[in-house]
Amino acid sequence: MLIALSWKNIWRNKKRSSIVIIALTFGLWGGLLSGAIMMGMGESVVNTAINRDLSHIQMHKPNYQSEKDVREFIANGPEIVIELKKIKNIKSVSGRTLIEGMAASPASTFGVKIIGVNPMDAETTTSISNQLIQGSYKELSKKNRIIIGEKLAKRLNLKLRSKVILSFEGIKESIVYNSCRVVGIFKTESTQFDEMNVFVNQKDLFRILDTEPIIHEIAIRLNSKKNIPEILNILKAKYKNLSIQSWEEIAPEIAFLSTSMENFTYLFVAIILFALIFGITNTMLMSIIDRIHEFGVLIAVGMKRIKIFTMVILETIFLSVTGGLMGMIIAFLTINYLSKVGIDLSIISASMESFGVGTMLYPMLPFSMYVALSIMIVLAANIAAIYPALKAIHIQPAEAIRTY
Amino acid sequence: MALIEITNLTKIYNTKTVPVYAVQNINMQISKNEFTAIVGPSGSGKTTLLNLIGGLDEFNEGKIVLDGIDISKLKENQLVSFRLKKIGFVFQAYNLIPVFTAKENVEFIMLLQGVSKAEREHRAVELLKDVGLEIKINTHPSQLSGGEQQRVAVARALASRPAFVLADEPTANLDSTSAESLLDLMEELNEKNAMTFIFSTHDPRVMKRARRIITLLDGKIDVNHMKS
Ligand SMILES: Nc1ncnc2c1ncn2[C@@H]1O[C@H](COP(=O)(O)OP(=O)(O)O)[C@@H](O)[C@H]1O
Ligand SMILES: [Mg+2]
Repeated sequence: MLIALSWKNIWRNKKRSSIVIIALTFGLWGGLLSGAIMMGMGESVVNTAINRDLSHIQMHKPNYQSEKDVREFIANGPEIVIELKKIKNIKSVSGRTLIEGMAASPASTFGVKIIGVNPMDAETTTSISNQLIQGSYKELSKKNRIIIGEKLAKRLNLKLRSKVILSFEGIKESIVYNSCRVVGIFKTESTQFDEMNVFVNQKDLFRILDTEPIIHEIAIRLNSKKNIPEILNILKAKYKNLSIQSWEEIAPEIAFLSTSMENFTYLFVAIILFALIFGITNTMLMSIIDRIHEFGVLIAVGMKRIKIFTMVILETIFLSVTGGLMGMIIAFLTINYLSKVGIDLSIISASMESFGVGTMLYPMLPFSMYVALSIMIVLAANIAAIYPALKAIHIQPAEAIRTY
Repeated sequence: MALIEITNLTKIYNTKTVPVYAVQNINMQISKNEFTAIVGPSGSGKTTLLNLIGGLDEFNEGKIVLDGIDISKLKENQLVSFRLKKIGFVFQAYNLIPVFTAKENVEFIMLLQGVSKAEREHRAVELLKDVGLEIKINTHPSQLSGGEQQRVAVARALASRPAFVLADEPTANLDSTSAESLLDLMEELNEKNAMTFIFSTHDPRVMKRARRIITLLDGKIDVNHMKS
């Protein structure tokens, strides 16, 4: 009956309650939607990076990442690649031969990371083959071919079919050269990536270095991000002397960006709620001042102050939760819709590109956010209710009832 | 032993300018089954006295013993429970919770007392029948006339089976017909159910219905008159 009373009480002044409810609804809707957009951006940065080159899991020789030395290759790399392909939930595996070198054209030279791939494996592991703006990925299977980024092409003034001279430190000789023909130009979301990375067939590298096949990095793509911990465990147990890392460990800055977006959303919503607390408090205070006489009667006839206190808290919670729920529902519907159709960012994409975000943005909000928010709303309601509730329990019945 | 025993009761309001002696050195006793009116001109201290008897306000001097209990010795929460159990209140106006129906208003008191739902509902209906409102059981206060609202208030006051009912100017906002019929109801409850009523008024027509009249003047008892 106390619950019914509280619920009925909030509808006594419909206009006043509606205003707070609408404020809460739109405040939270705006907060959640912006949060979802930010998180969608974070997710997009992550997925873009995973698709472009990170993949889900990478394996290296433990020293490789600090030394970046050609000699630090994975022992039995090609065999391991074959073994990995057989593991359940591993979608594809690409063994990469990595060399730091220089790319030179008649116009200029530039330091690049030469990524030697098995074109078939690389095609299923990363998305470069889909990001060619000119040329054909298939030609990479031929001898002495190279695929470069748009930015590097501009820098070195290269076109399709131009020649590039790659030079790098060899294993046996000091410096080796190879002349390659540009067969493809790619453009990813990151201009920095496009400038710094070139793709060649690893067979060319093996020949020039005069070595049996060597692999420095194995990129593993899983069926789903969810499989990462499970596969990590399997691989760590199986290949004890290799460094095996998830994308989060390889690119902590990207993982950080993604989690910061989530934290930022919490902060954002918390700030909105904090501002709304004042509105709720004010409304409840007005409502109590309107009902001083009634509270006086209730206290007089024997309603304990703790019950009065509870009633005010309940009223505030009902008011807040009604608005909060409405805000969450319309936010959920909007986000759900936008997460399917996406938001086209191409208008402002020029500035987003250097940031590593795709042009289509898919807002997203984890379910846990709604749960956490519900708790936050109830908490906020309790905070908002304290002052009005204290006011209500300190009503002096003899004074309040007096009609003079 | 009297139901209500008041000795040397004094209540002073500390206003900014001069202290107001709203109730001054009052001594009186009220027994079970009385039908007593506290009368006097406006400002004579009727409301103050009833509030003190009802344990709604603190006093400066004296003693109030209700049904054998010295209420100044009770703690805040005990006093609230005491009011809930022992005293029925009817105020001048706006007695009821507007969002509740007549029945819910009567039930609410019993809810506070922890009475079971079935018994609450049963008793609320009975009480509303007693006050002649069986057809308005599910009506909200705003749909009731002033007289009907006061009848619901009386039903609510009786719901907790109190030792006595305090009614501060219960007829002040009523027309004379409604006032008469409310008095009829109270009188009937007093005679049939032996319920003690102490009510205040400055209406001569209401006064003459009382069996005992205590007249206040400037916070002091002027006349204490028992009809034979
Ligand atoms: N809260 C208060 N502060 C100061 N004076 C008060 C207060 N309440 C009542 N009084 C004064 O106490 C006296 C008695 O008032 P009251 O008990 O209301 O009389 P009645 O009910 O007979 O009209 C009056 O002079 C009134 O002005
Ligand atoms: Mg009065």
